[in-house]
Amino acid sequence: MKKVLIFLLMFGLAFAGWQQIAALSIVLSATLLAISFAVGLGFGINEMQMMAKEEFFQLLAALILIIALIGADGILNGISTNQGLATVGGTSYDTIQEASSAMLSDTRSEMASLMGRVHEYDQTISSQASQSSQCNIMGMGYTVSGCGGYSMLAPALSMSGGIAGFAVGEISAMTRFIEIAQAYALVLLLPVGIVFRTFKMTRGAGGFLIALGIALHIMLPIGIIFTEVLGETFIDDDASADYQPGSGSGTIADCEAEETGEENEENAISAYYTLKSELRKQLYVILVKATLGPVIALLMMITSIKALTSIAGAEVDVSAIARFI
Amino acid sequence: MTEALICSTEFGSFVDNTVIPLSLLASMATILIVALSFMFGRALSNAKLTLWAKTEVIQVIVSAASVFFIILTINTFCGMNMNDISQIFLETPAQDINVYDAAQEYLREAALYSHNAMTVIRYHLQAYTVLSFINAFQCDFPVGPIGIGCWYGYSGTSMQPLGGYGASIAALNIFFNGMIIAHFTALNFLFILLFIYKGFAFLFLPFGIFMRSMPYMRQFGSLMIALALSFLVVYPLILSIFYLMGPVVVDRPHVEFGDPEVRSFFNKQYVPDSSPDLDNYLDETVFPEQEVSGALDALGFVFGNVGDTIIGAQDAFSEEYFPEGPNLIGAIGFGANAFIAAVFLPTAALIAAIASVSYTARLYGEEIDLSRITRLM
Repeated sequence: MKKVLIFLLMFGLAFAGWQQIAALSIVLSATLLAISFAVGLGFGINEMQMMAKEEFFQLLAALILIIALIGADGILNGISTNQGLATVGGTSYDTIQEASSAMLSDTRSEMASLMGRVHEYDQTISSQASQSSQCNIMGMGYTVSGCGGYSMLAPALSMSGGIAGFAVGEISAMTRFIEIAQAYALVLLLPVGIVFRTFKMTRGAGGFLIALGIALHIMLPIGIIFTEVLGETFIDDDASADYQPGSGSGTIADCEAEETGEENEENAISAYYTLKSELRKQLYVILVKATLGPVIALLMMITSIKALTSIAGAEVDVSAIARFI
Repeated sequence: MTEALICSTEFGSFVDNTVIPLSLLASMATILIVALSFMFGRALSNAKLTLWAKTEVIQVIVSAASVFFIILTINTFCGMNMNDISQIFLETPAQDINVYDAAQEYLREAALYSHNAMTVIRYHLQAYTVLSFINAFQCDFPVGPIGIGCWYGYSGTSMQPLGGYGASIAALNIFFNGMIIAHFTALNFLFILLFIYKGFAFLFLPFGIFMRSMPYMRQFGSLMIALALSFLVVYPLILSIFYLMGPVVVDRPHVEFGDPEVRSFFNKQYVPDSSPDLDNYLDETVFPEQEVSGALDALGFVFGNVGDTIIGAQDAFSEEYFPEGPNLIGAIGFGANAFIAAVFLPTAALIAAIASVSYTARLYGEEIDLSRITRLM
């Protein structure tokens, strides 16, 4: 019998938009509250009457949220399409999500190219460093490893690879978040959150989904654009002369494994200086654009989730998630 | 997949024959104690005891009503079709499954997705490690590919011509470790969900009804009911919403192991066609380790056919593992996406559920600080 009733309820909902479901939820919730209030009044239970009154205010808040969302759809879209925010580096985008997505795509391409260059250097350095010369005749001979000076550069390149890989991962994660925001923030998370918030039992879940939707849709792209603008300001300044991004042009001299003289040593030192100047050109992209920027944007998003859940009626302490970062 | 109790045909009888009778028994026992207290209060003219008894009767009714609402909500969720919800909000079809199955399906897919990412990254790590450790010896005085320096002895230079994958290996190592954590986290959340579905939270309900009305045990009883409410309602509900986001979050329908999208990261020759589900996770024969070992034989074949210098053979070696070119950035990106699907979102759902415990317990009249559990997460 219960399942038949549920089926009948869902049958009608299957043909409704989310606004109708929200309205139905409000009516259902109001009916339950009226029953609670009547029971409280009938049996003289003050606590039940007070609870019903308190919940009535929450119901009004939910109603205001629904009206605000219908109106806010335009406001959120207005923020999203604000040309002041959605214009970065002289390029204009339709929405802030598109602007942030394009920025992330650019940074990802830069990082891919950078990792390719790190690999090339690594390839050259490692193959040179691994050389050893041997001569062995009739069981007698010697082994010379004249390229040992190059081997100190390999761990530094490995570390660079680790940091760059982490940065690529961050950028990829941010891109995925933006994709989620574009696909679901306004059409799923926000309306479903409002419907859930209507009922006392699912108020926490509803508040969380509302906060997640708004944070993903607005705060995350704004965080990305904000850090991009900060970065551009730094790059435009004269103080950043040594850190201007650029492609590598340095070369690593070949090593002669059988030589133990100064030539190999000078070549190794020269390789060190080449790498030093080349990697410095990449610091801005790796550390500022691809590491610090996403961290700030994610922190903005997570902090706003905490604040928004508080506004929505049930604070969710998401600081544990912030520790992932 | 292990059958869950919730929403199954046995679930109705479990609720009717176990949960409801136990809840009624707990309510009756509590009311009996309260009635006795009331009588003692009247007999001894103790106004405090009488007032306590009156207050507790209301609390028993509140507790029993909560149990009724929880069971009603569970039944509603069991009858709710996620396909209908998807068509309302997203206008795209989803599977015909209920809220609880959708939550379970999301975590199953997240576990599978993180496992796919782990397999892809492991494959790259193996490829780069094998390539890095190839040693070559070039004899002195080369004439074509042959060095006459080795004619009577052993004179030449040894080297690792493809040794320059240290940076790539370092980058992949971070994500391989991350994927192990992500995969275990998804499985952990899945097992927590199955544990809930198996019925453990239901037994909190009668226990909570009884304990809430006992002196000094209001907080504990409230916690029991709030836990049941949060883990039976809030946690699966949020996960079921994440399930609707599957086409982006876990690249549905490309989440299955044998899918071409996943296989594109590999040399297809060495990846089996089978599409393992969660039950096969511990079956080593499913995974491509023993198949990939054939790559070493293939490398030997390539090595034997190198007519150029050893360094020039790099592409030939690499092609054995990556016939369509290596995809280091793609593998790392896959790992990052899997981290969101398997760690970030399920953890957010659990944190919301834990926050809901605190919030719900407050509604029952007691503040419970669960922030330490959140930190533990």
